[in-house]
Amino acid sequence: MSEKQIKRRSLLKAGLATAVAGPAVLGGGKAHAGPEEDAVIKAGKKLGGAKLNGMMWGLYWRNYPDLNREFNKATGISMDKVSDVPNLQIPQRAMAEAITRSGKFDIFHVESMMIPSLAAAGMLEPLDDYMKSAGFDLKMVGNFETFMQYQGKTYAMPTDGNVCPQFIRKDLFDNPDERKAFADKHGKPLKWPVTWEDELEVMKHFHRPDKELYGFGGLRDKANSSFWYWMYLYSAGGFPFDDDANPTLNTPAAEYAFDTWLARKQVSHPEAAAWGSPQMIPRIRNGKIFSCQYWDGIIALIESPTANTKTRGMWHYGLVPGSKFSGKLIHRAFSAPVMAMVVNKHSPRKKQAVAWAMYMSTYKNSAEVVGHPKFTFHDPWHPKHMTDPQVTKVYTKPGIKSVEDNLLVTCPPPYVTGYQEFKEVVDRNLSEAYAGRKKGAKKVMGDIQNEWAKIIRKVGKRKLKREIPFYKAMMPKVDVPS
Amino acid sequence: MNRVTKARLFTIFRYAMLVVWSVIVAFPIFWIVSTSFKPDWEWHAWPPVYWSNEASWVNYQAVWGREQSPRTTLEQKTQTARYESHSANKPWQALWNSLYIAITATALSVAFGAILAYGVSRYRILSEIRMFQLLVLRMIPPIVVAAPLTLYYSAIHLMDTALGLIIVYFITTLPYSVWMTKSFVDEVPVEIEQAAEILGATKWQAIREVIFPLIRSGIVATFLFILILTWSEYLLSLMLSKVDVVTLPVQLAKYEGSDEGRVYGHQAALAVGITLPLMVIGIFIRKHLVRGFTFGMVKR
Amino acid sequence: MATATIAQPKGRRSTRARGVRVFKWSVLSPLILLFAFLIPVFLLQIYFSFHSWTVYLSTWFDAEFVGLELFQEVLTEGRFWKAMGRSLLFAGLSTLGCFICGFALALLMYKPFRGQAFFYILFILPMLTVPVVIAYTADMLLYEKGPINGFLSYFLPGDLSKFTWLANPDVAIFTIILLEIWNWTPFVFIIMLAGLSSLPTEPVEAARILGASRLQIFREIQLPLLRPVIFLALILRFLEAMAEFPKTWGLIQGGPGTATETIPIYLYFTTWVSFDISKGAAMSYVVMVIMIFIVLTAIYVLRREKRALDALHETSRTEA
Repeated sequence: MSEKQIKRRSLLKAGLATAVAGPAVLGGGKAHAGPEEDAVIKAGKKLGGAKLNGMMWGLYWRNYPDLNREFNKATGISMDKVSDVPNLQIPQRAMAEAITRSGKFDIFHVESMMIPSLAAAGMLEPLDDYMKSAGFDLKMVGNFETFMQYQGKTYAMPTDGNVCPQFIRKDLFDNPDERKAFADKHGKPLKWPVTWEDELEVMKHFHRPDKELYGFGGLRDKANSSFWYWMYLYSAGGFPFDDDANPTLNTPAAEYAFDTWLARKQVSHPEAAAWGSPQMIPRIRNGKIFSCQYWDGIIALIESPTANTKTRGMWHYGLVPGSKFSGKLIHRAFSAPVMAMVVNKHSPRKKQAVAWAMYMSTYKNSAEVVGHPKFTFHDPWHPKHMTDPQVTKVYTKPGIKSVEDNLLVTCPPPYVTGYQEFKEVVDRNLSEAYAGRKKGAKKVMGDIQNEWAKIIRKVGKRKLKREIPFYKAMMPKVDVPS
Repeated sequence: MNRVTKARLFTIFRYAMLVVWSVIVAFPIFWIVSTSFKPDWEWHAWPPVYWSNEASWVNYQAVWGREQSPRTTLEQKTQTARYESHSANKPWQALWNSLYIAITATALSVAFGAILAYGVSRYRILSEIRMFQLLVLRMIPPIVVAAPLTLYYSAIHLMDTALGLIIVYFITTLPYSVWMTKSFVDEVPVEIEQAAEILGATKWQAIREVIFPLIRSGIVATFLFILILTWSEYLLSLMLSKVDVVTLPVQLAKYEGSDEGRVYGHQAALAVGITLPLMVIGIFIRKHLVRGFTFGMVKR
Repeated sequence: MATATIAQPKGRRSTRARGVRVFKWSVLSPLILLFAFLIPVFLLQIYFSFHSWTVYLSTWFDAEFVGLELFQEVLTEGRFWKAMGRSLLFAGLSTLGCFICGFALALLMYKPFRGQAFFYILFILPMLTVPVVIAYTADMLLYEKGPINGFLSYFLPGDLSKFTWLANPDVAIFTIILLEIWNWTPFVFIIMLAGLSSLPTEPVEAARILGASRLQIFREIQLPLLRPVIFLALILRFLEAMAEFPKTWGLIQGGPGTATETIPIYLYFTTWVSFDISKGAAMSYVVMVIMIFIVLTAIYVLRREKRALDALHETSRTEA
């Protein structure tokens, strides 16, 4: 990409930005509440003021102080103390609260996959009645609303609709020399990968460790291994449980998914086994990675007008590859963790807490949060986010299009009681396989299968049998988004 | 001549070894300090940047400074602002909690430990085997009792209170307090306090006016050592605090992961703030330290 | 002491005995109260380890009684014993490392020389660094193209920019051992320095006059006198290392795979990630029994050393 092009692009974007930036957002505290917000405020006023305690990571909380002040002024309800706990720790902290039936915290900002477990532990307040009485309607893209529900009831207000689109380096992928070299070697033109096998071929072509360019930038550490695995599994037509709540991880689809998962080691950084996002994201932003499926917040991090990144404008964003393993082509993306606010049933201030959470999740307020150009942790989820000018400015048009496409085929990790336990087993076994301590899809998946059987016994088969239809219903209705 | 050469060689050898170890010790500490002054693009640089040409207080401002409103942040053009407001609650509260809890628990532990040590040394109020069994208190890994302790504490409303943490710190450090101070009490001649008692002093007066001043060195050394343990304690503090009494090591742990890359500069700026108080105290009382650590296991 | 008491009149003696009794109980009763305060923790632990309770059961007191099933599960589990092995390896090697470095430094430094105070302050700094900080600092330093590899490549041959400290499962455990050594060498150093500098000088002088070499003096006189202190340092360090959590957790959470999963990490996973409180409780008891066995052995050794020392003390006193 020439310098001239970059200049033209950024000029164009800057012009576009000034043209579309809503005064509400850039005006600094001049936001006026719309009808949706007014309704929540009206409902909130009736409840009386309250000082709430919340558990939310500072990196997420930093978007809220202004809205919090606003809501406090209007209703007397405010988030007073925030326990600053990183995402990975919140499930265990929330569960500790559930065990002790403590009413100390009113709101937990937690990954939505924890909803079944926390609800089963008796700590979540269903929100439907509150929503109805405040006239609040929760809308999310595609099938995404089911991510906030459990057994048909809504339990959470979304704040961060994570999905992982395909990232491919545009400057390399579109380079005519590279295209020719690829065509010469493989006897076919270089195309956007449709299947995981295509993707691997392309990544191998661009994998140049001696030049500090790595084909693949997905995570393979202990805390994150399983996320990618689910994507491979679902796209191969697999599903981790049968209808009788038996694990089905010793099936051919599960083993195929494992092989696909492990094959990425050939084109990954040698230290990937110990890397989480903190180590990977700088590599992505600084041009050391050719392609990956990664959380959509990184689009904003790279492309936002105020971002300071070496690779701005150098990426293609698109649909993740799929698989023909099941006989037909299926694309599946993954959405985890989808961060959402749940309300503690044991809290004496739960009514006010629900009002607070609803206020933060109205279209207008959530667009302000999601569309912040610097604090990019919250990602779009509302249907109107996809056309919102401020959000589009931060995520770019192709970026937001890829978010929408992938949201249409996105899936959760096992959305059942005991998620953390199931995840821990998969993560650990995969991580051991990646480190070379365990070999062969049969052995690894067999071990997971056996350990899962134990967890299922512990959680209760009858309970799981009731939950699995809901989990199944969260699967997307389309295989290939148009 | 030979002897002199040998001595000289030994001196050279000694300095060489000490310098090597100094580098091993100082390099990581230097790196924390240096990183805390670096701008974000130098955090991951290769070849590594040892000292930034653009050193600034930006990281310190971001970590310890005022919280920013997201809307005003929008108007700022600079990139560094992106990292501000990283924290919901600035670490000042955590610093105060840490100081308050660690110092109170340590002071109680050392004071009670010294009195107990005096009793053991003079009147054998604990038999020798009991003294050794006291060590078991310290030797149970805290993780082993974390879960029931959490339940118990919430049942008796000690969860998320300073008192709750002070009690567990007091109990887990008591064995060290007793053992360390006992070796000092042993050295004080009995005759001195007998003289005091003949002059009409009560037992408590004798302890306060005679024994404590005489073993000051030992008390100071013990105090520092216990303070190190309580100040840096992580697991129990993590389990037993919620919002009100979060301590600094727990506060630092929120940098565990991040969707935007590990913010090394901020971590370092906070780390300096956590470590500095201990180092300052340690340097001030260094001369008391040497004698404090024999646990009575050396014949003097 | 005896002469002093006899000299006192009878009445005063009995008040004195009462005074001692009052003193004894006013010191001991808070201690006993504290222990009593802690008893429910262990009772709860016992309850959980015999009842299969999951967080998804409504209340913890209607859990099902399962007898020794959970203990059997723990004791027959490969993962538990592997974690135990790793813990012992971690504690053993780090103790050894701390001891070698700390003792060597103490030997180099116990006699006054120019710069002693400076080196002393510098060498105790790692102990004053908070373990969580060490974990994060290690994360900053120890990657392929990180500062440590960059720094070492000035001195060592070969391409260090390919050496991975944390991603390689065979290396990772040694990396955290090195961190533990870095952190706690000052502890051994201070103990040994205190020990060395409080050794009596007369036997050393006498031996020197008799023509003993430095090595002989060290082996025949200093080492035996230091034995109790050495045991103390080793034992305290070993037991503290068995409980090490923040560094291992903060750095790699027991990964890659289970390569650095020690007992505290495994317990944390069981209790707080898998929410298996009951299994965690049973495991805690197993760990406690093993630890108490180790501690009792340690106490036996320490008492033996202390006795020998006291006996030595007595003889030297009577001789004097």
